[in-house]
Amino acid sequence: MPEIPADLPIELQHAIADGLLERLPLTFLPFVQQQLREWDFLFPNEHKSVQRLLLYVASLTPAQSAALFSDVVQLEEKMGVRTWQFSTTEQTIQNSSLLARSPYFQQWRQAVQAVFNAADAYAIRTQPNAAATRNRLVLLDIPGHLPVERATVWDRWQGIGFAQPVRIPDAARTSGSLAFLLLGEPDHDAASSTGVLRASQQHAEAAPAQAWIIDAGDSLAQAALRRLAGSTAKPAPTLLGYKELDAYRQKFSQQMNSMRKDLADADAVYDRLRSVDVRPWCPPEVAEPSVREFVRSLFLSGNGAVIFGNSFVEWGASEALRRARPALLVAQFDVRPRPKPFTGVAVFDNPDQVNPLPSVDDPQGSSLDAQMLALYIWLAATRYEEYQHATVCVCLADSIAEAYVIAPPEFALTRSADPLPLESLRHQLSAWLA
Amino acid sequence: METDSSHRTRDDTALVEPPEAFVDISKRNFLRAAGLLVAGSMLPQLCAQQEAASTPGSGHKIIVVIIGGVRRAETFAPQGVQNIPHLTRDLLPDALFFPHARNEGVTAHFNAIASILTGNWQRVDDWGKLAPTTPTLFEQFRKDLGAHRSETWMVASNKALTSQIGASSSAQYGEAYGANVVFPKQLMLMAVEEALRGGRTASMADRAKVQAELESALEGSNYEGLGWNVFDASDQLDPRVQGSIKSAIASFVRNDGPTSGDELTFYMTREIMRKFAPSVLTVAFSDVEAAHFGSFAMHLAGIRTIDRLAWQLWQEVQQNPEYRGKTTMFILPEFGRDPDGSSTNGFFNHRANEESTRDSWMMALGAAVDKPQVIERPIRHVDLCPTFAGLLGCRPIDAQGVRLGEFHA
Repeated sequence: MPEIPADLPIELQHAIADGLLERLPLTFLPFVQQQLREWDFLFPNEHKSVQRLLLYVASLTPAQSAALFSDVVQLEEKMGVRTWQFSTTEQTIQNSSLLARSPYFQQWRQAVQAVFNAADAYAIRTQPNAAATRNRLVLLDIPGHLPVERATVWDRWQGIGFAQPVRIPDAARTSGSLAFLLLGEPDHDAASSTGVLRASQQHAEAAPAQAWIIDAGDSLAQAALRRLAGSTAKPAPTLLGYKELDAYRQKFSQQMNSMRKDLADADAVYDRLRSVDVRPWCPPEVAEPSVREFVRSLFLSGNGAVIFGNSFVEWGASEALRRARPALLVAQFDVRPRPKPFTGVAVFDNPDQVNPLPSVDDPQGSSLDAQMLALYIWLAATRYEEYQHATVCVCLADSIAEAYVIAPPEFALTRSADPLPLESLRHQLSAWLA
Repeated sequence: METDSSHRTRDDTALVEPPEAFVDISKRNFLRAAGLLVAGSMLPQLCAQQEAASTPGSGHKIIVVIIGGVRRAETFAPQGVQNIPHLTRDLLPDALFFPHARNEGVTAHFNAIASILTGNWQRVDDWGKLAPTTPTLFEQFRKDLGAHRSETWMVASNKALTSQIGASSSAQYGEAYGANVVFPKQLMLMAVEEALRGGRTASMADRAKVQAELESALEGSNYEGLGWNVFDASDQLDPRVQGSIKSAIASFVRNDGPTSGDELTFYMTREIMRKFAPSVLTVAFSDVEAAHFGSFAMHLAGIRTIDRLAWQLWQEVQQNPEYRGKTTMFILPEFGRDPDGSSTNGFFNHRANEESTRDSWMMALGAAVDKPQVIERPIRHVDLCPTFAGLLGCRPIDAQGVRLGEFHA
């Protein structure tokens, strides 16, 4: 019997004490046990999701739960899971590798999906209002120093929205368009001058996990931090700046490199990095445990988050959408350097450490990356029910003063050949969120 | 209703995370571990000097160019052809082209390449800790036709491979019939690592010093650290091989051109062709795998590099008398990549059970191609090894794949 975390909801504690976990298939255990153990580090949306599954299983008779899991269990038998070195306490690289190369892997995934579909259906039956949605906004920015081609920049979006020219005021040229939309104009007190962040903070369901700002550089993050420092508005958003996290990333890499000679296998590395105390490396805005652990998980799960700022933004945004389902997600891309000669092969090393030649920015390559990754953030959002209806997505391309807008019919903005003043866009987005 | 709960997406991102997603932050650690897996016996110099006087079997030579994971969208699709000018303009007019070559097995590097080389879908450890379970093309060729080890080479940039790719665990075949396996990129990694450790990072900014660093890594205390397996492992590389590698390094460093891992792989391949003229040569490029780090621009750059290097390799075939007129060169990706919008993060990865990931293409050029044409019929990667073996004159062995009728020795 695993130790039951004291901070679990009481009904979950009772269900576990009554033997709930013994009714789960082997391949469910690593995930469930890890989620329960890391309960304090989960976002409210994840708490709901775990509860939904486990309380559904707890509501079933033993015969019903056996029927629910019968396909999964049969596939586990065919796969020979019991003969594997399969961890039932946590998700491991070894587990993933064993599952992924099984010829029954795809069938197993479908069977797992069916279990969750059943849990979702149960949740809707028992809590019909749980899926109520609020208006949401995904706000993306390809800043002016990343050049784009007006004729082709939105081709990948395949006409799901429309391109809208915008007029960028002088005030926004210094702060950046995205900061202008997000944070408003600091020297103006009028309500019309506040940004969409304030609108999200004023919502009845506002919470730190409901507003995320992710920056591939540091200009937006710094501007947000300055504004938050002088503001009494609560709650503060979740703020992740790639450069703000430099110390975290560097120390993380050093830890990794120091283990190199002792490496026995992938999971040894994973275990070490999961248990390293990262608190000394966290900037103040990442001190909250769930955010701190979110960053650790981000760096551990790859996808270039520890290598490139733009990958960090895309993967961070995708994970935030999956895990926290924020009402406001703001992401800004930035420039990365070109790979240095003879270091491309060792791409995850610090190139400045490997090669003393000065770094050279790659605005064209960074722009191409950003164009693709901006689309990926929106596509990540559309995988979830919460973003499929009342969600507006705006992707700014500053270098051509244009925004790509995806919006439901209820959103006030309509396509116009005339440039839309950025102030008007800000006003409409704020109204949408509020 | 939720369409994607935490478990399901965790299932996509962590529970079933393939190794490469983790590798991008710790790849070198694994390489170091992989480097320890080299096994073998002695007699390197003797083997090198016993180069076969004539090509065994049918006299046909096979070059297989495997190029990592690329989607149709970035290659043989209307919007992708701009990335492959040499494949489409210089090679396709003379090629037998299969627009649908399917990977129906594990879409991870070691298993994908092992499936191509064995004719059976391999499901072994993704890290290359285990050998393929059925005989590789190298073993079939060497055992059936008595070919010398110098006739079979694998040159690979891909860091997910280990020397286990050169021979299977089959009791009737195995290491005694295995190929020479070299990983040029690992040499680069070791050189960078040693320069860092020795406080000589300035060397990496100076081409002449880079050459010295690479040679130093090559001549280091134990070349096994490179993960290679050449003419049976020992603590010293065979002198002829070492000479070839140094020559390749010199060409790579002094060409004043690009310096990616695939460039070095190309130069080493060319040197091996010139010095050993193997009958079975497999080259695995992997610059395109920069996609795992999320740079689409670098992924496209990798495709363009491979497009050029495959073309240069074909030029070498046509200029080298050991190959001209008796060689068939096959070019194919290991798989595609995941589609945009997939829960597996699109082009970053290659683990979705989707057409974008499984359905790729193959191009063949040279002696076994009767006439250039496009064959729309889908083929499977496991059909390739029986085809290669047939062209080489090997007797068929049991395999999941079947020989493709379009090729004639």
